[in-house]
Amino acid sequence: MTPLLEVTDLRITFRRDSGPPIVAVDGVSFTVSAGEVVALVGESGCGKTLTGLALPGLLPPGAELDATTHIRFNGTDLAGLSEDALRGYRGRRIAMIFQDPLTSLNPVMRVGTQIAEAIRAHQQVSRGEARQRAIALLGEVGIADPEERVDSYPHQLSGGMRQRVMIAIALAGEPELLVADEPTTALDVTVQAQILELLDRLRVSRRMAVLLITHDLGIVAGRADRVIVMYAGRIAETATTVALFATPAHPYTRGLFASIPRIEGSSGRLPSIPGTVPRPDQWPIGCRFHPRCPVVIANCREVQPPLEAVATSHLAACWWRRRRPGEHATGPGRRARQALPRRRIPQRQCARRARRRGCLLRHRSR
Amino acid sequence: MRWLLRRGADAFLTALVAVVLLAVVVHLLPGDPLAVIIGDRETDPATRAALAASWGTDRPLYSAVGHYLAALVRGDFGVAMSENRPVATILLERLWPTMLLGGLTLLIDFTCGLALGLWSALHPESWRARVLGGLTVVGYALPSFVLGMVLVWLFALEFRWLPPAGLLDQTLPLDASLWVRMADRLTHLALPLATMVLATIAVPFRQQRAAALATATQPWVLAARARGVAPAAIAWRHCWRPALTPIVTLLGLWLPMLVGGAVFVEMLFDWPGIGSLIAQATASRDIPLVLGAGVLLIVMVQAGSLLADLLYRLVDPTQRDR
Amino acid sequence: MTTQTKFGLGLLALLTLLAVVGPLVAADPNAQRDLLNGTLQPPSLAHLLGTDEFSRDVFSRLASGARISLGVAVVAVAVAAFLGMVIGLAAGASDGGLSGLLRRCIDIGLAVPRIVVLLVLLSAIGTVPMWLFALVLGATGWPAMARLIRGETLRLRHAQFVAAARALGAPEVRILWREILPGALPPVLVAATLGVADAMLLEAGLSFLGLGAPPPAASWGGMLLESRSVMAVAPWLVLAPGLALVAATSAATLLGDALRRRLQPDAK
Repeated sequence: MTPLLEVTDLRITFRRDSGPPIVAVDGVSFTVSAGEVVALVGESGCGKTLTGLALPGLLPPGAELDATTHIRFNGTDLAGLSEDALRGYRGRRIAMIFQDPLTSLNPVMRVGTQIAEAIRAHQQVSRGEARQRAIALLGEVGIADPEERVDSYPHQLSGGMRQRVMIAIALAGEPELLVADEPTTALDVTVQAQILELLDRLRVSRRMAVLLITHDLGIVAGRADRVIVMYAGRIAETATTVALFATPAHPYTRGLFASIPRIEGSSGRLPSIPGTVPRPDQWPIGCRFHPRCPVVIANCREVQPPLEAVATSHLAACWWRRRRPGEHATGPGRRARQALPRRRIPQRQCARRARRRGCLLRHRSR
Repeated sequence: MRWLLRRGADAFLTALVAVVLLAVVVHLLPGDPLAVIIGDRETDPATRAALAASWGTDRPLYSAVGHYLAALVRGDFGVAMSENRPVATILLERLWPTMLLGGLTLLIDFTCGLALGLWSALHPESWRARVLGGLTVVGYALPSFVLGMVLVWLFALEFRWLPPAGLLDQTLPLDASLWVRMADRLTHLALPLATMVLATIAVPFRQQRAAALATATQPWVLAARARGVAPAAIAWRHCWRPALTPIVTLLGLWLPMLVGGAVFVEMLFDWPGIGSLIAQATASRDIPLVLGAGVLLIVMVQAGSLLADLLYRLVDPTQRDR
Repeated sequence: MTTQTKFGLGLLALLTLLAVVGPLVAADPNAQRDLLNGTLQPPSLAHLLGTDEFSRDVFSRLASGARISLGVAVVAVAVAAFLGMVIGLAAGASDGGLSGLLRRCIDIGLAVPRIVVLLVLLSAIGTVPMWLFALVLGATGWPAMARLIRGETLRLRHAQFVAAARALGAPEVRILWREILPGALPPVLVAATLGVADAMLLEAGLSFLGLGAPPPAASWGGMLLESRSVMAVAPWLVLAPGLALVAATSAATLLGDALRRRLQPDAK
């Protein structure tokens, strides 16, 4: 099956007035198949948002794609398309929803007008018909009284309702791929669940592929088919959700897991990864994670680890698992090494552990 | 609707108190209020007392102000001392040249100024926008009367293309055709209008540019691009329209500014408007005329800010539910 | 520092030099030194900016006018800022009747066009000494400043850090002095810098109408007024004070913008 979206060697650089250009995303490759849900996970500053924006050509001023980058969508390379041609894809083939539903809606336009705008951007329909469709879409995203709400202004709606409107706008062009950039970060926890539920339902009924960009591994569980973990502009690890939750191979992924709060057995402070993601102009030599890594060996400080197969369709970029026998971690946190899970886990235990980590394996009709 | 009533009452009350204050101050001023009429002539005390009684200048302060207000309510602005004509007549005569000049300035400022401001916000890096930005700093700082003098010197004295002052050519034959008269009016309007526009257009330009620059980086603009909206619609609906709120606020402050500028420009060009009227009236110490012009300006300013508040609510939906 | 800011600072330095050093090195601005050579001489080595219709040296007058124009504007803005600060703070910090009354006062102050008040007051006083002129100019400028400060005070009163100070039991006066006033200062500073340009324009404009410094004092507006009648034969008489005015107001505008960018980066 050829993938719907195939990104190869995505490299995004920022030109600067002085000094060399900054590479913010550095050689990221991945695919999204039709109807698939892929999660792009990482802390803020890792380049995941830029990656999402790059797909329909929405990079901020000053950011450029490298010439070697290819973004193939249904076989067409979007990286080489003109602004005009890209506009035909935006909303129509690739739709986006954003983190902050308040500021992502124009405050002086009625929400119905903004949905109609998305419809009329790609289809020749009358104002009246666009309005009718906007009402239908509002109903589809679960807004009560869509006939009335269609004339509301954004400030009259709650945060959850605004995000539903954003989703309705995204659905308006009947896209094949939905890029959801932190769709629930700005919302209350209970509303978060509703919005994610809605996205899941719409994805199935509309047969959309979804690229879910988030910093929260907790919301990935049970929703994504595959997970891509990004760190400092590169892919750290990628695997099916089940495999990643069961046997995370990269120390960074394990750190992310450790910082998910769990309902049962909460005891004391949540462990967190020390430090923050360095700025793109301050990326260290060698593995970019090594200053924060609990298990650093000599190689980590010198050579960037390549993305290698750990198991079938499970890749990770880490020197630790290729360490020579008897080689010990020299980096910060020797004690963290003892806490690392054993390498080989029996298949049964794998599933159990995955379930314990909150990865509910729901049945999918696909 | 209730809001409008409350706001209207508020404006009325403010104007009323301002008028009373102005009347009190004018009546309290030192000096002989009858000096305009008497001038250098010798007068005996009896004539003087008769004059004072007929002009009402012998009344104590509260009575004078009270009489003035009572007359105002009846629409009576009193009689101008220097011309011995009703103040209302003079004000009406002087109103339309000011409205013509001020209205056209407003129109040009808020069309060309805003368009240019939006354009330079959308192309912030182009050299044209940079030049424009630099020019507006000078325009902002340029005093209208200095600019006016330079324009007069260039176009009226050196090149002799345009008349230096006045509203129309007094020597024009009475039977001149409509076209000739129109052309005469326009040539007389050209220099004062150019002065007013050039001296004021920097304000809406800069305001619009700043507002549009701020909205251009808002997430909703990115969101609109992400749904494939055409660039023209982005500029119009998502950059210009939300940036309108500060512009309307500016519009409310605009009338007082225009009045201030008009005084100097009208004096420079002998333009028979309210601005030059109030300057001449204060110079000749014609109390009824000063007060009349002052009342007119106060009412205009209040009406302007009321209108701006109304527009504000139209433009910004978040204001309506307050 | 942007090019614009540098330009503004440069202009300010030049003008300060003109105002401080100019009158020391230049001749007496009122001396009719060169009557033998006639009046209205164009710029030359002897008279850098020419002479006026009384054969007075324009450069000398420009330099002494710099003291008047800049001094009047700065004093006027200081007076306006002080009055506005007191009234605005009181209006924003008080509650109930007093707050409403002060707000109404500010509204009324804004309702009467400043130029009308100035025309009435100045023509009544007749010949005005410079210090009084500056005071009157400042006293008519307070409403705009007060409105700005009232708005800032109201905003800050509901800010979290003020609530925190209040929760810690700080007395209201202390909160006003230590928490609110410092927070309200940046916009005031910006407005005051821009206000210097406005005051300078008003001073020149009123002098141009003959209501400013009485002759033979050399204010820039007065020089413009005197040059108006001889503009056709001696345009340099317009250009010298005109350009000086533009330079001064440009400097104030540029520096005000620079201050705004520095002190209020989030403001529009």
